[in-house]
Amino acid sequence: MRAALHSLRIWLAEPRDGFALAAFIAGASILGIAFLVMLCGIPNRYRKFVVMSVTFVAGLFLSLEFLLPRDVVSAQGLVFSIGAIGLIISLGFAAKSAAARPRDIRGLGIWLAMTVASTAVAYFASSLRAIAVPLTTLSKSLTTARPAVGDLAMIISSFAVLLGILNLFQIHGRAVSRRTQGWYNSAAFFVAFFAILIVGLVMDWRQSQLAHLEPGSPAFTTVSRANTINSNLFQILFRGFLTSLESTMFSLIAFYIVSAAYRAFRIKSAEAVLMMVAAVIIMLGLVPIGASITSFLPESGIFSNLRLERISYWLLIGPNMAVQRAIGFGIAVGALAMGLRIWLSLERGSFFDRQL
Amino acid sequence: MGESNQFANQAVWIVEGLIAFFILHKILSARRGQNLFIRRIAGLNVLDEAVGRATEMGKPMLFAPGLTGLDIVGLQAMAILSYVVRHAAKYGTRVIVTVADAVLYTVAEEVAKDAFAAEGAPEQFNSEDIRFLSERQFAWASGVVGILHREQVATAFYIGYFYAESLILAENGQMVGAIQVAGTPATTQIPFFLAACDYTIIGDEYYAASAYLSREPTLLGSLVGQDYGKLLMLGLIVLGAVGVTVGATWPHSGAYELFKNYFLSFFPRGMW
Repeated sequence: MRAALHSLRIWLAEPRDGFALAAFIAGASILGIAFLVMLCGIPNRYRKFVVMSVTFVAGLFLSLEFLLPRDVVSAQGLVFSIGAIGLIISLGFAAKSAAARPRDIRGLGIWLAMTVASTAVAYFASSLRAIAVPLTTLSKSLTTARPAVGDLAMIISSFAVLLGILNLFQIHGRAVSRRTQGWYNSAAFFVAFFAILIVGLVMDWRQSQLAHLEPGSPAFTTVSRANTINSNLFQILFRGFLTSLESTMFSLIAFYIVSAAYRAFRIKSAEAVLMMVAAVIIMLGLVPIGASITSFLPESGIFSNLRLERISYWLLIGPNMAVQRAIGFGIAVGALAMGLRIWLSLERGSFFDRQL
Repeated sequence: MGESNQFANQAVWIVEGLIAFFILHKILSARRGQNLFIRRIAGLNVLDEAVGRATEMGKPMLFAPGLTGLDIVGLQAMAILSYVVRHAAKYGTRVIVTVADAVLYTVAEEVAKDAFAAEGAPEQFNSEDIRFLSERQFAWASGVVGILHREQVATAFYIGYFYAESLILAENGQMVGAIQVAGTPATTQIPFFLAACDYTIIGDEYYAASAYLSREPTLLGSLVGQDYGKLLMLGLIVLGAVGVTVGATWPHSGAYELFKNYFLSFFPRGMW
């Protein structure tokens, strides 16, 4: 069985080109579609179980791959940390038990005994190489398998891209066929889509042809010339059109910032006044004229702190940074909670419980 | 430590382990029937009002989940989408969903279909209202801006992960006179949304949305657990600030030595 799997792995990984490559891609696509059809065919009563299992296994894989250490000393630290978590939790429950029922000596004693036990077990277990070494081995194997998991996710995404393109064709195709208002924009979509698709595919084909030809041969020169024309065409479409259009959209932000700032800084409330004063100080602190306004103040000593550029710097690294970090902590804890709920299939309400 | 897990050290294991414990413990407590209180979140309260406005004006709504893919940010956006679509279905209001990720597009379509069906109006679902525009940032943004202007939307929801396109969308929404509700965990884009939108869901409020809207005890428990996690972080920050201040004032004191050996070495600097 192992030998068969090994041979299969070698056969899958061997390089292919030309017809063999095309046939391999077609075969893999058919298998992928068949697998997706099979998944869609799962009865509703089993679907929830399948989704929960796959989510749990995938989450476990990724979290273990991140959390497990790869050397023995760190693995011993991990075992000790698990004990430390047990210690803190037991201490917390002991304190809660003592506060809720001060006379319940037995309850308090149980929690304190668990505290001592978790410390002792963690200390003893962390010294055992028999625990630490398998953890590092597991960590290394998970890391080795990670690219394959990444490839799997990418393959599933590729199938979804086809559905996305289908949606674009459906919407724009209907607009063109019904001649709705602005249908020519939809027609432009088809022209752009097929132009970049055809030029890109031909460029790849020419490059694969070049790889098999002898440099300097007449055939190489002919294909190389055609490839240069094709590459130039691709550059015109990609850099000339797409990148320029994207840069145009990006440059609009400068104007939008001005109009948004105008509305935000209109004095409507105490908060708006505070924000406007802070913004004016920061803007002045970043330009030479701001520094010249308070240049009469000394460069050192207590009064130097009143110089505009110093107030501006303080606002940025003090209050601003503190708030940014506070929001950051909140987001991180929220993401952890959401991740846990999804991983353990605890997410309820909304669409999760009904859909599964 | 290895290349792929260089951030996982004892501090990460203990702090993350404790926060995970708080969250799971509170979820279990909530399931046992413990009463939990969560504060009012204005940005989430206004969702019903925003749907109502579009209904009154007889115009469609726009829901843009940003450049989010199928991750926890995207799943939370889908939870809010489900809520919005169900409310829209009650009043027969159109919701146009513009997606930049092909995988999320398939999920959004299913979510919208399920939401209409849950409200007993499966016939209202129109697959053309769930649109995959492009995976490229500004191509997607220009597509959304085009829809904002062509459809003259009454309400726009920007719920998901946004980058530089946030202000382009919000300003164009402002131009067409739409009431705008934004929610993003992207800290760099929050100021833009605050300046240009009517309501903004910021920071961890974003991840609280599904719990807040559904009022499901399990999820409310998770929110309270999160707060305990934040208290733990706050305690560590205060302890660190006090310790470092003691170190700066009395660098050779025994208290600082203890702090250095048992706290600072445990939370090494320069992890990022």
